[in-house]
Amino acid sequence: MSDLLAARAQMGTSLAFHIIFASLGVGLPLLMCLAEGLALWRHDATWMMLARRWAKGSAILFAIGAVSGTILSFELGLLWPTFMQFSGAIIGLPFALEGFAFFLEAIFLGLYLYGWDRLSPRAHWLCSFPIWISGLISAWFVVSANSWMNTPVGFEIVHGKVTGINPLEAMLNPSTPYETTHMILACYVATGFGTAAVYAVALLRGKRTDYYRKGLLLAMAMGAIAIPLQIVSGDANARFLETSQPAKLAAMEGVFHTENGAPLEIGGLADPTTGKVYYALEIPYGLSFLLDGDPNSKVIGLDAFSPDDQPNPLPVHSSFDGMVASGFFALFVGIVFWALYFWRKRRTPEQRVLLWGVALAGPLSFLAIELGWMVTELGRQPWVIYGILRTSDAATTAPGINISFLVFSCIYVVLAVTLIWLLLRLARSPLPKVELDKDAFVVEEEEESVEA
Amino acid sequence: MNLAYITLAVLWLAVIAYAVLGGADFGGGVWDLFASGPHAKQQRHLVDEAIGPVWEANHVWLIFLIVGLFTAFPLAFSVLSITLFVPFTLALVGIVLRGAAFVFHLHAPGASRTRAIWGRVFSAASAITPFLLGASAAAIASGQIHASGGHAQTVDWTLWMTPFALTVGAMAVSLCAVLAAIYLTVEAQQARELELLAAFRVRAIIAGAVTAVLGALGLVLAPFQAPLLWNGVLGKALPAVIVTMLVGLGAAASLFLGRYRLARVLIVLETACLLGSWAVAQLPYLIPPDVTISNAASPDVTLIALLVSTAIGAVFLAPSLWLLFRTFKSSKPAPARK
Repeated sequence: MSDLLAARAQMGTSLAFHIIFASLGVGLPLLMCLAEGLALWRHDATWMMLARRWAKGSAILFAIGAVSGTILSFELGLLWPTFMQFSGAIIGLPFALEGFAFFLEAIFLGLYLYGWDRLSPRAHWLCSFPIWISGLISAWFVVSANSWMNTPVGFEIVHGKVTGINPLEAMLNPSTPYETTHMILACYVATGFGTAAVYAVALLRGKRTDYYRKGLLLAMAMGAIAIPLQIVSGDANARFLETSQPAKLAAMEGVFHTENGAPLEIGGLADPTTGKVYYALEIPYGLSFLLDGDPNSKVIGLDAFSPDDQPNPLPVHSSFDGMVASGFFALFVGIVFWALYFWRKRRTPEQRVLLWGVALAGPLSFLAIELGWMVTELGRQPWVIYGILRTSDAATTAPGINISFLVFSCIYVVLAVTLIWLLLRLARSPLPKVELDKDAFVVEEEEESVEA
Repeated sequence: MNLAYITLAVLWLAVIAYAVLGGADFGGGVWDLFASGPHAKQQRHLVDEAIGPVWEANHVWLIFLIVGLFTAFPLAFSVLSITLFVPFTLALVGIVLRGAAFVFHLHAPGASRTRAIWGRVFSAASAITPFLLGASAAAIASGQIHASGGHAQTVDWTLWMTPFALTVGAMAVSLCAVLAAIYLTVEAQQARELELLAAFRVRAIIAGAVTAVLGALGLVLAPFQAPLLWNGVLGKALPAVIVTMLVGLGAAASLFLGRYRLARVLIVLETACLLGSWAVAQLPYLIPPDVTISNAASPDVTLIALLVSTAIGAVFLAPSLWLLFRTFKSSKPAPARK
């Protein structure tokens, strides 16, 4: 493996791993906050049980997210020193701001997780707000940096030297509103459907109690509110790409030749060697219509770019369609679920087929995040900073990248296996017993047998 | 005073915060490794209890440092990432394994074997990581990392394995151990665990003596392997070095006299002085001999943006941190558990 490929593979593996934890880190604290709020408002012990359980899960996920995030911040330098040397002064600001948001999140998570007995119920609940708000803000900052890589502004290059730096302009680059909205909504969609999937599986296994129903309802509420917004946001992103990154859009939609009245290619394989899309469902004039509302409008194809500047449409188109399909599946499940809920006079729908649908929508929503991220990253290639710096020029010259990639891959495997084992164990452990005693919640935590 | 120096001072404060907070977490892991005697289990338990609530927050200082460094001094970040690729990667592996191991062993009640394995991983990684970070710092101070024309030159990949670097690495580990042991004496005193108190007092004194010996050895090696740093120590940093030594003696004395809270204050001060004198001794270089504070700094507009956001961040962070430490580290005894 070449050093460049090894560096890209290591960065890709790290991000693919981290994005799951980061997304849950944005979504899960909001669920926790809502559940605890409902518990205090309705004096309901079941909601408190859910809040406690989600807090335990958050503790584990957050810790792993923190270490995988640390890996990334080091890797920016270890793998891409030239990129960081070029862009540190321009786009370091949102990273620093994200650091502060993350700091606040960590502080209040510490208070939240270890403060059940030390803070009043209301103070404890209030501690959950800075957690989800910081999570949301962190996501915004980090994604604004990624947006800058797609639409780099806030500097000038004069005689090969970077001058006229404006960090605020760089942070608020044209892509920022589109990308940040899409990613933040993705966090809520994935956390909502992902959590709902856990409770749907429990209900399918016959655990038909109030606890699992409430968990399912709250998670489905989050997912179902976020998914239609997400589809609207996705549409806005695609239209924006038409002007900002037409090469990426062409790769996403499998458009090889610039044409008027471009068809929409659904599915299929976009083969860059032949310049054709095979096995796709083709809707005539579909793409032109979707992008501009005019079936005869012009869509720029990959042939408008020199071969050196084209992304590979094969993975980009397939990832894009996979993401869109997952999104629409989740939308469908969400609509059916809530339609049945209200039609049946607010009874949790428990049809097996529907629960299976929810159980499937959870993993698919996370898959959509991975695929969407691949669309934006692979679609930007061969550039690391679009139009400015090529990925191949940004990689490190240090030796041993292959070994480093191997070592980190092993670490991720070990972490993932242990984490899944631990979360399954948590899911199987007896629920905390929460009772209401004169308006105060009395909790009997599961016995933690500490053996040597 | 220009902006680059102010920014560096802010980042250096973060280095000190990471050393006294995150360093103590490393040290906690070292004592987990050396837990011995009939009370080994209680010793480990005290470490877990002390670290748990503040764990994530302590770790974030490192992330702040990294992003602050690449925002304010991108050239230094790039040069260090290339020339110290190996020790940084290994330290990163250590940080990751340690972070993961801590949660895994804390949240796997009952599963004693898994718990034990991750406990060992936690303590081993806790010892190795500060060693690598210390050795990397020594490699920077050695003045052998060359960068010209804004790029790292081909370098000697073994810079972090010289006798001087190994000594400084070992000293970093033992300093972390001292920090943790002294904090733990206060924790043990609050929990009225007298056997634990005695155990950690002895440990603090032993580790303190080891640190002093390694520090002396480092000073002996410095003229040969880090001449630039040595000149600084004898020159502009001399008062700071003397203060560092005096504070160290003070910390040892208060430990002997059983004044644990005072010892805690003094050891924090000691760490701050040590890192402060290193920074002063190395001025005006970030990475001697080619990368200086001014030639590596980002343009003023970036530094201003960073400093302003740091100030805004501090407005939110300071009360939050105060709340965190007041809730979990105040002198009020913890409510009875079990």
